[in-house]
Amino acid sequence: MPQASSISVLVVDDQLTMRALIRNALQQIGFKDIREAPDGEEALKNLLAKPANLVISDFNMPKMDGLALLRAVRSHPPIRQTAFVMLTGRADRELVQRAVQFGVNNYCVKPFTVQGLREKIEQVFGQLT
Amino acid sequence: MDELEAIKVTFFQECEELLADLEGGLLAMQEGAGDLETVNAVFRAVHSIKGGAGAFGLEPLVRFAHVFETLLDAVRGGSVPNTVELAAVLLRASDILADHVSAARGLGDVDMAASAAMAAELEQWTDPNAAPAAASAPAPAVPVAEDVPPAVVADDDALEDDDLGFVFVPQTITVEAQAADAELIPSNVWTVSIRPKSDLYRKANETALLLRELNRLGPIKATLDDSALPPLESLDPEAAYVTWSVRVETDEDEAAIREVFEFVDGDCELEISRGEGSVDQAMAALLTVAESAPAVEPAAPAPVEIAPPAPVAEVAVAPPAAEPPKPAAPAAPPAAAPAAQKATPVEVPGPGQSVIRVDPERIDRLIDLVGELVINQAMLAQRVGEYGIAPSSNLAMGLDELEQLTREIQDSVMAIRAQPVKSVFQRMPRLVREVANMTGKQARLVMDGENTEVDKTVIERLSDPITHMLRNAIDHGLESPEERKAAGKNPEGVVRLAALHRSGRIVIEVSDDGKGINRERVFSIAVKKGLITPDLQLSDEEIDNLIFLPGFSTADKISDVSGRGVGMDVVKRSVQALGGRISIASRPGQGSTFTLSLPLTLAVLDGMVVDVAGETLVVPLAAIVESLRPKPEEVRPLGPVGSVLAVRDSFVPLIDVGLTLGYREQSPHPTDGVVLLVEGEDGSRAALVADAIHGQRQVVIKSLEQNYQQVEGVAAATILGDGRVALILDVDATIAMRRREGGAPRPTEPALIAAE
Repeated sequence: MPQASSISVLVVDDQLTMRALIRNALQQIGFKDIREAPDGEEALKNLLAKPANLVISDFNMPKMDGLALLRAVRSHPPIRQTAFVMLTGRADRELVQRAVQFGVNNYCVKPFTVQGLREKIEQVFGQLT
Repeated sequence: MDELEAIKVTFFQECEELLADLEGGLLAMQEGAGDLETVNAVFRAVHSIKGGAGAFGLEPLVRFAHVFETLLDAVRGGSVPNTVELAAVLLRASDILADHVSAARGLGDVDMAASAAMAAELEQWTDPNAAPAAASAPAPAVPVAEDVPPAVVADDDALEDDDLGFVFVPQTITVEAQAADAELIPSNVWTVSIRPKSDLYRKANETALLLRELNRLGPIKATLDDSALPPLESLDPEAAYVTWSVRVETDEDEAAIREVFEFVDGDCELEISRGEGSVDQAMAALLTVAESAPAVEPAAPAPVEIAPPAPVAEVAVAPPAAEPPKPAAPAAPPAAAPAAQKATPVEVPGPGQSVIRVDPERIDRLIDLVGELVINQAMLAQRVGEYGIAPSSNLAMGLDELEQLTREIQDSVMAIRAQPVKSVFQRMPRLVREVANMTGKQARLVMDGENTEVDKTVIERLSDPITHMLRNAIDHGLESPEERKAAGKNPEGVVRLAALHRSGRIVIEVSDDGKGINRERVFSIAVKKGLITPDLQLSDEEIDNLIFLPGFSTADKISDVSGRGVGMDVVKRSVQALGGRISIASRPGQGSTFTLSLPLTLAVLDGMVVDVAGETLVVPLAAIVESLRPKPEEVRPLGPVGSVLAVRDSFVPLIDVGLTLGYREQSPHPTDGVVLLVEGEDGSRAALVADAIHGQRQVVIKSLEQNYQQVEGVAAATILGDGRVALILDVDATIAMRRREGGAPRPTEPALIAAE
């Protein structure tokens, strides 16, 4: 049972509002080490400089979208095992399917509740304490 | 919850930006930009608004944004063609979306019928076959309900089986496994990339010393990248071209490594990363991997890559002190240059721009203080003068420098409060669309000079006159599409809104390519309304400017657009109150141009200090044409009390300021004093009589209304160098007052009386 406070998270979304909301939810769940990036490219740079345990990423972003970020993460051994949760705007089957192909760990439909997000993360890491 | 409320505030701020992006993108589409990048940006804007709105449960906004987004998604996917007509519809939809955002914020209402009708229209565009039923039923219950609500109700498990059609099994992972992988990166190996700028060498620093310092932390292996080194003939000996990549093995942390470079901070580009190879290299490799995924621009923000054969021109333009070119991710040199050029027009504001938000009150306070400083400095200078200290003395010279500095501080402080007129211009495309719709005209707004800067106090007051001028241009200026076609013009009229700086003022021009002013009609209306006499001989320009007379309105019937009982005279008066001028020029059949000019700031004024009947007055320099000492033969009496002055080949009325302001009962003879030839905002001239001129000075404007009350003939007050309060003369009001007192041959037609 991993401790939420020991898991580092990188939140990737081009919208400041969404980043703030996700950060807020993560804090309520008990996460402490939370970083943010406004697009896939920045996120990748951030991860290369300092890996994270979990990436929570939006799909539709300028420069590099969530799928491309996922692909890049999975192809780089040192960060290959980063847990990746994709946020989708709605029930976009095609998108989730492609994300599954690229090895996404889980997905979460916006808007979500704190409990909903928690469950999604717990499905990846096991119950959080 | 407070925190959520704070995020909500952020959301609405972000909405403002997104709506502006949306409108900008749609306007580009209307201009024919069909590239995927633009469509994507437009889609993303609506998508983001919807996403945030969903999080806060803003139902009507979510619903409308959803319909909007669905259509944009179809455009993006290519199933709906991206046409100019579509862009026009999308623009109107963006206006309604903006209304929804405002309503969600508690500012204003949404016309639900219009919203529903627009939603139906959007659906019709999305799927022309399925739509007739929806379009004919503009009921508030827009049929979007089928696919949104389930997701919106925050039921994130909903799509697991039903929507996806396959069962998704989350991939579990353990933190330990991650840690094991992270071990691939030896924890004590760091890669330091050092790219010195020429400043580093100029300041007598030395890379070798830095490397030696690094070596103290642990064993190092340095590699020099000289790939950016130009051929000898184009090498600038003072520029820096090389990059060091240093592998350091150390148990110290990043901060310790960074400390080595403490003294060259800013003079070199430094990148420190854990593991072998720099982030840059890994990025470059990974970007190629990601490339095959959709919607990725491989190396969009790539630094200007200068390849040896191509750069001659660029190097010549850039000063040698420019940063040395980046050793470059592996890019094919010939392809690099055109790609970079292509990328420039799409200007994406980077998230890294550092901006400080400051409470405007603090800036206002700063400006007030600087104003005091200016006054104080002037007082000091005056006292030093009174003591008879020689201008060549150290003290006087020091004071000169102080004056210089004070001016510079003042300019810099004013620059802080300067803002681009964009904030006002931004609101205008929507206005034009609405007015065009209302009047049945087709109008396209072209804007120019949106980045022209002007003081915030002026910006706030630009909106009303611009709105009015634009309304006027569309309502009265542009012809109906049919008329335009008949006249051989494009049925779509062009309205141009431009801002520019001209001789220390900001000039706003609103022009249209319509029919121009119908001078016969304007003249006859002015006669009918008793504003002028029928036998008056007026030039074309004078007739055009009749529309600024109080009580003039050309619309046959009062339209609900520009005829709101507010005529151009009100606009003119409000503009004049700001020390501005407005005029119109027109060419029949080709259109009209309104020109509005305002001072760049309402805080300081360049003025001429004069003595009148023992009082000190300041006359705005902008109004003064020249100053002269009249000769007796140039002064001619006119009427019982008035007199005129012959200036070259014309006569201008002489006005004794002392008499007009009530300082004295009897005017001295003009030849005993000095005459300031002034020009009012309307172009009318007058000769102001003063006793003596003290000189030109920049003064800080103190509002009389705020501190006392409005006084006719006085625009404001200021404090002079000796601490005395001096009044700033309102030139136009003075001319008008004098006219009313008598001696004005055409009192019914004030704007034109003195025009030659």
